Amino acid sequence: MKTKKITGGKITLFLACAAFAVGIPAICNPYQMTVVNSALIYFVAALGISIMLGMCGQMSFAAISFMGMGAYCATQLSKTLGMPTLMALVLSAVFTALMSLWIGALLFRLSGGYFTFATIGLVYICSSLFLNLKPLTGGANGIVGIPDLNLFGYNLDSLYKWFFFLFAVCILCGLFVERIRRTSLGRSMASVRDNELAAKSLGVNCYQVKIISFVIAGTLAGLAGGLIAFHNGTVSTALFSFQIATNFVIMVMLGGVNSTVGTFLGTFLVTLMPEVLSPLADYLRLIQGVLIILMMIFMPTGLAGIGQMLLSKAQKRLANKFSKKKTASQEVGQ
Amino acid sequence: MEPILKVEHVDKAFGGVIAAENVSFEILPGQIMGLIGPNGAGKTTTLNLISGIYSCDKGEIYINGKNVTKLPAHTRARMGLARTFQSPRFLQRSSIRENLMLGLDLADQIGYISSFFGKKRSDFDTELSELMGMAGFTVNWDADIQSLPYGQRKLLEIVRALLTHPKIMLVDEPAAGLNSKELMRVLEMLQFAAKKGVGIVVIEHQMDFVMGISDFVTVLNFGKLLSQGTPEQVSSDPAVIEAYLGRDIDAEN
Ligand SMILES: Nc1ncnc2c1ncn2[C@@H]1O[C@H](COP(=O)(O)OP(=O)(O)OP(=O)(O)O)[C@@H](O)[C@H]1O
Ligand SMILES: [Mg+2]
Repeated sequence: MKTKKITGGKITLFLACAAFAVGIPAICNPYQMTVVNSALIYFVAALGISIMLGMCGQMSFAAISFMGMGAYCATQLSKTLGMPTLMALVLSAVFTALMSLWIGALLFRLSGGYFTFATIGLVYICSSLFLNLKPLTGGANGIVGIPDLNLFGYNLDSLYKWFFFLFAVCILCGLFVERIRRTSLGRSMASVRDNELAAKSLGVNCYQVKIISFVIAGTLAGLAGGLIAFHNGTVSTALFSFQIATNFVIMVMLGGVNSTVGTFLGTFLVTLMPEVLSPLADYLRLIQGVLIILMMIFMPTGLAGIGQMLLSKAQKRLANKFSKKKTASQEVGQ
Repeated sequence: MEPILKVEHVDKAFGGVIAAENVSFEILPGQIMGLIGPNGAGKTTTLNLISGIYSCDKGEIYINGKNVTKLPAHTRARMGLARTFQSPRFLQRSSIRENLMLGLDLADQIGYISSFFGKKRSDFDTELSELMGMAGFTVNWDADIQSLPYGQRKLLEIVRALLTHPKIMLVDEPAAGLNSKELMRVLEMLQFAAKKGVGIVVIEHQMDFVMGISDFVTVLNFGKLLSQGTPEQVSSDPAVIEAYLGRDIDAEN
């Protein structure tokens, strides 16, 4: 029933990725590279929100908390305990996976809106802990001097090296999410999102599926946290505030809640907006707010929806041209 | 033969409304039981109690000899209990294909991880085309479920249930809103399932249909068991005729 097809969309996507990988380092100065790199890191965490909200229909603000846990864990393991950095990164993702399993099992006893509010509680608890557990987090001053990430002897000591590494991580995470969408877990998540009653009646354990989505999201956020710690070389509580938590949700909503490409676009839009609009910094939130409202009214599927519309229009136009040519040549043949 | 489904003295009340009171019946593999009664009699509630959407206030439910009264709905589904709904329940934002595949892997005990690495049910395609042959129409698998006419959605829900290889099927008003051709298709599919040994509960208001297909019929009224027996016994039972208020019961649908 299913055949692997190489569609126009896939080719476009591949070319866009290639152009991005070649183009960005060519045109960006080091400061701009920092911004791009952090957008790539945020994308990893935003993907988690896309899974939770887009695929599974569960609104969670918790990503920022797990990002913080991942960041401090990676920092402590590498800087204080002297563990190899790559191992510290992996272990911090494992740590956040376990934490999100535990917290998810607890919070999903609540349903719908109550769950969402509980995740807001979690964000407050965690930011308070990050601020006050000084021996672990450095408190308000944060921690500096985190070593470079070292990949089997290869030191990521420049922003450009980081860029390629992060972009590769983003692509792997994106493929992982797209794979989930197409397998049994993705269908189960969609059923939890759209019709819990049908889901249960078909054997889907909704509670379990919600926890799985929460753990995947938590792990991705933890990974992003570890990455940002090694990338920046410093961590501080400012990175993990409720403000940033809402940013994640905005990224995903603007981009297209159930689309990996859309999440990517949304992440860049939200991360780059303060840079591009720096003369209007005072009105940044206003502009974002208006944009969100307009988007939800006119294009609830986000940037991804707009992209898809343009792509299918272009395809139709191509197809039309092609069929016109055909009829023309047929006429000549007659 | 052991009954595949046993409902014993089940009660359910919603606030003051008694939706089921002391309801009992048993179904053998391959048997079709009609469940009838006036609107609000508690028929759908009974299905919800069996499938675990609601919990019983009292009484026990056994699937294949195992007491499932305390088990959650999804566990009962994985034990071979499939159902359709009074109005079809599909995932509106997923394709028809995804809708049919939902839950299949679970029914087959293929875990999320092995599915991630590409494990699938091998005979899915042949089985699907066999069932679609019985359903009597073809669809574009990648289309939206909403693009289908109502009758086809109802048929597709039965196909979806059958794809999970159920031992018990609970079918809530399959005939409502179908034309006579589609009705024949429903009949054919349910009889096909019964022949394979599936125990079936079918709720239906259309009397010709339910009396024609059922091995025996259970009648509910105000949540209580009013009558039970062969279609002939039930339709000549004065209590049943009384409950339908002297109406010609064939006229109600
Ligand atoms: N979730 C619920 N909460 C409150 N009352 C309910 C609930 N579900 C059913 N009821 C009530 O229980 C009674 C039985 O309803 P049920 O849906 O089982 O009837 P039914 O026999 O399926 O009727 P119909 O032929 O109209 O489908 C009704 O009075 C109904 O209002
Ligand atoms: Mg009903």
